[in-house]
Amino acid sequence: MNDHDLDPESVYSHHPGLAPESDFEAGGAGGAIEVVGGATFGPTRRAMRRLVREPAALVAAAYLLALLAATLTYKYWWPYSPTKGDFNNVLRGPFGHHWLGTDRLGRDIVARLLAGAGVSLRASFQVVITSLVIALPLGLASGYLGGWFDTTLMRIMDGILAIPALILALAIAGVLGPGLTNAMIALSIVFIPSFTRLVRAQTLAVREETYIEASQSIGSRSSWLLAARVLPNVASPIIVQASLALGAVLLAEAALSFLGVGLQPPQASWGVMLSDAYEKIFTYPWQMMYPGVAIALTVLAFNLLGDGLRDAFTVDTVRRRRRGRAGLTKVTLEPADAPVADHGRTDDALLVVENLTVEFSTEQGTHRVVQDVSFHVRPGEVLGLVGESGSGKTVSSLAILRLIPSPPGSIVGGSIRFDGTDLLAADFDTMRRLRGAEIAMIFQDPMSSLNPAYTVGNQLAEAVLLHENVPRSEARARALELLQRVGIPDPEARLDQYPHEFSGGMRQRVMIAMALICRPRLLIADEPTTALDVTVQAQILDLLRSLQAETGMAVIFVTHDLGVVADICDRVTVLYAGQVVENGEVHDVFARPRHPYSAGLLAAMPQRHTGLGDLASIPGRVPPPDNMPEGCRFNPRCPYAVSPDCTTVPIPVQISERGALVRCIRADDLDLREAIKQPELAPEHEATQ
Amino acid sequence: MLGLIVRRLLALIPLLLVVSFAVFSLTYLLPGDPAVTMAGGTNASPEDIVRVRHEFGFDDPLLVQYGRWLKDAAHFDFGNSLIDDKPVSEEISRRFPVTLSLALSAMVIGIMIGVPLGIAAGMRPGSVRDKVGVGVASIGVAIPNFWLAMVLIAIFAVDLGWFPAIGWTSFQDDPRDWLSHVILPALALGVWAAASLARQLRSGLIDTLDSNYVRTAWAKGAREHRVVGKHALKNAAIPAVTVIGLQISTLLGGAVVIERIFSIPGLGSYLLAAISSYDIPVIQGVTIVFVLIFVVINLIVDISYGYFNPRVRVS
Repeated sequence: MNDHDLDPESVYSHHPGLAPESDFEAGGAGGAIEVVGGATFGPTRRAMRRLVREPAALVAAAYLLALLAATLTYKYWWPYSPTKGDFNNVLRGPFGHHWLGTDRLGRDIVARLLAGAGVSLRASFQVVITSLVIALPLGLASGYLGGWFDTTLMRIMDGILAIPALILALAIAGVLGPGLTNAMIALSIVFIPSFTRLVRAQTLAVREETYIEASQSIGSRSSWLLAARVLPNVASPIIVQASLALGAVLLAEAALSFLGVGLQPPQASWGVMLSDAYEKIFTYPWQMMYPGVAIALTVLAFNLLGDGLRDAFTVDTVRRRRRGRAGLTKVTLEPADAPVADHGRTDDALLVVENLTVEFSTEQGTHRVVQDVSFHVRPGEVLGLVGESGSGKTVSSLAILRLIPSPPGSIVGGSIRFDGTDLLAADFDTMRRLRGAEIAMIFQDPMSSLNPAYTVGNQLAEAVLLHENVPRSEARARALELLQRVGIPDPEARLDQYPHEFSGGMRQRVMIAMALICRPRLLIADEPTTALDVTVQAQILDLLRSLQAETGMAVIFVTHDLGVVADICDRVTVLYAGQVVENGEVHDVFARPRHPYSAGLLAAMPQRHTGLGDLASIPGRVPPPDNMPEGCRFNPRCPYAVSPDCTTVPIPVQISERGALVRCIRADDLDLREAIKQPELAPEHEATQ
Repeated sequence: MLGLIVRRLLALIPLLLVVSFAVFSLTYLLPGDPAVTMAGGTNASPEDIVRVRHEFGFDDPLLVQYGRWLKDAAHFDFGNSLIDDKPVSEEISRRFPVTLSLALSAMVIGIMIGVPLGIAAGMRPGSVRDKVGVGVASIGVAIPNFWLAMVLIAIFAVDLGWFPAIGWTSFQDDPRDWLSHVILPALALGVWAAASLARQLRSGLIDTLDSNYVRTAWAKGAREHRVVGKHALKNAAIPAVTVIGLQISTLLGGAVVIERIFSIPGLGSYLLAAISSYDIPVIQGVTIVFVLIFVVINLIVDISYGYFNPRVRVS
C-alpha cells in the first residue's frame, strides 16, 4: 500500500480523502471493546469539532447535562419532596402540580424521578471512575511489563469476566450486605477487567511503535515513557468506552436496586421505583412507565454519546461513513459540451471508452479523478494502460464494469461501449450478465480478492454457475480444467482447499482461472503482478501471454511497469493525473515518445538501463485531484516546460495522421529520443506481434 | 479440529481454578459466621460452635478448605444448604434445565430478530432502512430487561390474557404449556440480545461489503442476494458469533432478574434466596454452575468459528 494522499488508484485501500475506506481492522470488534492503535485516533480538538457534526451525540450530551442540572437543583424549584408522602392522594394520575401523579405512598413521582436521576448518575460515575482508577495502572503495568505479571493478571481478569456480571455483582453485594455503596463496590469490580484489557491492548499497541523503542535506546526511564507516551494514546478509546460503560452501570445499578440489594427504600432511585411499581403491576400498571422510560432514555443517551465520540475520535482512515453499493457505479451524465474527440479508428473495436470522466465526492469536496479519458481495444489486441499511482488507470478500468463504489464515486461524463452495448446506460441485470461472462477482471491483490470463507473450487464453480445453466458436477469439472491450465499442481486436491492455503502467486493463478472460466471476450487485468515476488511476476506474465495467444481474447493490461507493456502489449495509453497524455503503438511510443512524461517513464525503466550511471527518475509526484496545477498537469515536473505557455491554459490533445494522440504543446518541436537512453526495444516485444 | 477442542479444554483449567478460588473465598467474607449459623444461630452455645467449626473444618487454613471443597466440587458435590440441609447439587440439577431453557429461548429469539434486522440495515448503509434499523437496535440495547418484562406482563398477560403472567411448567411435562410460560420471559431477555446482535452484524456487513473479495463477487456477475447472503454474511458472522458467546453471560445474569419477576423456579431465584439468607454452599454452587454454562457455550462458539473461518481449522 502506498502512502499517496488522495490517490484514486487504490480505490479500495485505506486512504484519507477519496478512497471509500474499509474499517475492517478497527471495526472487527464492533460494539465490543475496540482495539485501536495509537495512530488511528486523532487529536482531541479535531475530534471535538467533528463531534459537533454528530447531531445524535449532541442531543444526547444536552439531555445528560440537563438531567444533571435538574437533579442538582430540583430542591430549589420543585415544590414536592421525593420521600414525603401524602396519604390522602396515593397512586393517583396527574393532578394539580403533581404532573405525573403520586406513588403508592402518595409521594410525588416527578420529585422521585429527579432524585433517582441523581442516584443513578452518581452511581454510574462513581463506578466507572473507581474501576478506571484501578484498571489504568493494572493495564499499563500488564501491557508494559509483560511476562508472568501480565499472564497472571490476565488469567485473573479472564476469571472475573467468566462470571456473568450481574451474578458476580449480586454475589459480592450479597456478601457485603445490601446498600448502595456495597452495590457500587460490586459493580466496580465487575467493570475492572474490561477496562484493564482495553488499557493493556492500547499499551501494547503503543509499545510496538518505534518511537518507544527509540526513546528506550536513548535511555529514557520507563515510567516517564508510560506517562508521556501511552496515556495520551489511551485517553480517547477510554473516553469512548467509559461513556458506554456509564450506560451499562446505570442498567446494572437499576437491576440491583430492583432486586433489593442496591439503594434501600424509602430513598428514591429508578430501580427502587420500578420495584415499587412491580408490586402494583396488576392494579396500577402505569406506575412503572416513568422510571422505565427514564432508565431507557438515559442509557440510550450514554450509548449515543459513546458512539458519537468513537466516530469523532477515529480519524479519516478508519472513519465509518456512508457507503453505497459497490454493485453498480452511479452514472450522472452531463450533456456533452465538447465534441467527442476522434482518437483513432474505433469502428472495429470491441470496447470503446470515450471522454470518460469520474468524480469522487468526499467531505473535502468533489474531485475529478479521471477526466476525458478515451481508449479502445480491438478483438485479440492487448492494450496497456500505463501511469504512476494517482494517474487514474485503476479507476478507468473499474469504470468499464461499473465497479467503482457509489458513493463516493460516480461517472459524470463520456461513454463506454462494449460490442455495441452502451455500458453507461445499462441496468444492473445487463451489467451482471456481462460481468464474468463477457468481460472478466483480475485484481491487484490476490491475497484479499478471494473469499477466505469458501474453498477455491466453490468460488471457481460459482463463476460458471452464475452464467451457465449446467450441473454442479460440470462446473466443478471446468474448475478442475482451468486450475490445470493455469499451472496449479495437483489441481484435484487444490479444489477443496481454502485461499489461505495458497501462496500469493498461486492465488493469482486461481484469480486468472476464475476470470477465464467463462471464456470472456475481454479481460481487464489491473496490476495483476504488482503484489507478487519478482520471479512469480514473470511466471504470471508468461501465463497471461500464452493464455491470450491461445484464446484470442482482448486484454486491457493496467500497469505502472513499462517493461510489462513492452513484454505483452500491442498498443499503449499513458495516463497522467487523470488524463490521457499519449497513446500509440507500443513500438512507436517506445522508439519515439512525444510526451515528456512518457519519455520520463521510459528513461526510468530498469530494463532499459545500461548499468552505467544512475537510474533516471521523474522528480516529484503525481498531483492530488484537489490540487491540480494550472495549465499542463505535468508542468511542475517537466524539464521542458516553458513559461507561460505550459502553466496557464489547459493543454489540448493533438492527433497525428496515424491516430496517435499526445497532450503536449511542444510535441512537435521536441525530440525526446535523446532523453531515453538506449532507445532499443526489448526483444520480447517482437514476439507478441 | 479435535486438537483445537482439546487445546481449548486445557486452557479452561487455569480459568476454572481462578474462578472457583474466587467464588470459594468470596463467600468467606460473609459477615455471618457459618459455624454460628449451623450450630443454631444466636442461641448456640460456644461449645457447639467450636464443635461445628472443627467438624466442618472451618478452623483449617483457607487453602486446605479450598482443596477439600474443590475435590468435592469436582464430584459435583457442593455440600448441603445451610438453611434446609438438602444437597445443593440436587437442587441445582432440578433447577438447571429451567434456567438453561430460558436463556437458550432468549438466544433463539435474539437470533430470529437480530439477524434479519442486522442484515436489512447493513446491506444498505445510510439508507432509511438502515437508519430505522439502527434506531430500533439502539433503543433495544437501552431498555432494561426487567422493565420490559413488566411491560410485557401488563400488556400480554394482564390486559390481553394471552400468556400466564407468572409460573413455570417444564418442557418434559407439557411442551405447549412450557412454551406459553417461556415466551414472555424469553422475549424480555431476547430483545436486548437481538438488538446488540443486529448492531454487530450490521457493522460487520458494512465492513465485509467493502472488501476486495466482495468486489470480486460483483465482478463475477453475482446478484445482490448472493453477494450479501453468501460472500459477505459468512465473514461478517465471525464477530457476530463472538458477540453471541459473550451475550450468554449477560443473558444468564438477566435470567436472575427475569426469574424473580415471573416467579420461575430456576437457578436465579435459588441464588437470590441464598444471598438473602447467607447460604454459602448454595451461592458457591450456583455461581460455579453459571460459570460452567458460560464457559461451555463459549467453547461451542469457539468450535463453530471453524465453520465460519477456515483459517482457524488449520492453525
